[in-house]
Amino acid sequence: MNGTIKFENVNKSFLLQHQKTLKELAQAIFRKQKTVERVQALKNISLTINKGETVGIIGKNGAGKSTFLSLVAGVSFPTSGRVLVQGRVAPLIELGAGFHPELTGKENIFLNGVILGMSERYLVDKFSEIVRFSEIDEKFIYTPVKHYSSGMYMRLAFSVAIFTQPDILLVDEILAVGDTAFQEKCMNKMDEFKKQGVTIVYVSHSMSTVEKFCSRVIYLKKGEVVFDGNPKEAIKRYLKE
Amino acid sequence: MKYWPLIKKLTLREIKSRYKQSFLGYFWVILNPFFQMLIMSFVFSHIMRIQGLGVPYPVFLYAGLLPWTFFATSLSSAMGSLVANSSLIKKIYFPREILVLSTLLAKTFDLSLSTLIFIALMVWFKVPITVFMTLFIPIFIIQFLFTFALGLLLASLNLFYRDVQYLFNLVLTLWFYLTPVIYSVEFFPARFRWIFKINPMSVFINAYRKVLLGGSWPSFSSLGLGVLVSAVFFIFSYYVFKKLEKEFADVV
Repeated sequence: MNGTIKFENVNKSFLLQHQKTLKELAQAIFRKQKTVERVQALKNISLTINKGETVGIIGKNGAGKSTFLSLVAGVSFPTSGRVLVQGRVAPLIELGAGFHPELTGKENIFLNGVILGMSERYLVDKFSEIVRFSEIDEKFIYTPVKHYSSGMYMRLAFSVAIFTQPDILLVDEILAVGDTAFQEKCMNKMDEFKKQGVTIVYVSHSMSTVEKFCSRVIYLKKGEVVFDGNPKEAIKRYLKE
Repeated sequence: MKYWPLIKKLTLREIKSRYKQSFLGYFWVILNPFFQMLIMSFVFSHIMRIQGLGVPYPVFLYAGLLPWTFFATSLSSAMGSLVANSSLIKKIYFPREILVLSTLLAKTFDLSLSTLIFIALMVWFKVPITVFMTLFIPIFIIQFLFTFALGLLLASLNLFYRDVQYLFNLVLTLWFYLTPVIYSVEFFPARFRWIFKINPMSVFINAYRKVLLGGSWPSFSSLGLGVLVSAVFFIFSYYVFKKLEKEFADVV
């Protein structure tokens, strides 16, 4: 069914080269240091996320949260095992990744929208709605985004991203966008997605939002799933360590 | 073609963003090769006194300089295209060759603008208009394919080792002098002329000059080889690119 994510014995490791340049490499070989190291980012993960679930992913930095998301997004591939993702994935991660500072707000809405997989006609239809959601002044829409404040920039990026029609939504710590009023608006929009049966994978360090928002929490530690289930229990375990 | 809107938007981004905040804007696209032509014309027809080309030197030079400029600028920006879009590569999936393709399409737009000056030059120097001129389109398509192939290969390798771009810029300088852009093949000692047979850029430029200035068919034997080399090279590069693509997000 569209909206399901399935991990089957997934391992992901990176080759980490300690010495980036020839000079460093020569020195390391001379001193008999290690030159390459295999870093295991995810270890033997098997799990299923069903359609309509809202799953929080918690864990310390380097626990494998971002790697998990990039595997679901299909930009990175497992070293072994299989990742099965059904349906359209929309990443709400690193907002405004496709923005170009020299282009106007309007041009960037279309550019970023198309990058996120929306059709041009759909964007034309939704354009005024996107602008309204972003609360950006009409006159700023026609100026290059390099003149935007960082708050405006993020608001515009979020507003474009929120108008994708995904089966699976990946959210990476982005609700720190704008002021409290705008944050609330974002949360309302997310609740709307939830009601529509969109699968949401939510990565955050804010335990209160995770607890409030998610129906299931996966706690990752050094690439392994330590706990998977009740949010309260997961957070308790995480905070204890 | 599902990704056509994306290709279009990324190409437009390339074109629109480049000359923003410059007063002359797109005129730079035309002015650059034009001034290059003026300088080189002065040096080579007045100081070095290159003669016996059959056509005035500025026209002769331009017919080679424009395709060369397309080739060189396309490759320099294609090489950086993946690195420059690393934030996209890490987050969103779409076929990565689109990034390389859109830089090439933006350069094609530049080329068509600077062709205007070339047409003006041909009118000015009264170069006879022939039907053979239309053949520049198929020649350009072959050149585009060759450039795209090389761009894919360099862009992906450059993602792993940035040395590629520094090394290739040196190669490009050498390549320029081994291609009959500022001179014609006849100026080269006969025993070295085999270089032009194995250099695809030289094959393309000779073909352009034949159809645009010579009013005749291009050399089909060498152009045929050019087609074959470009096609095989493209298949190879595309294969390598797709193999490496899976690791792009991990290395940027």
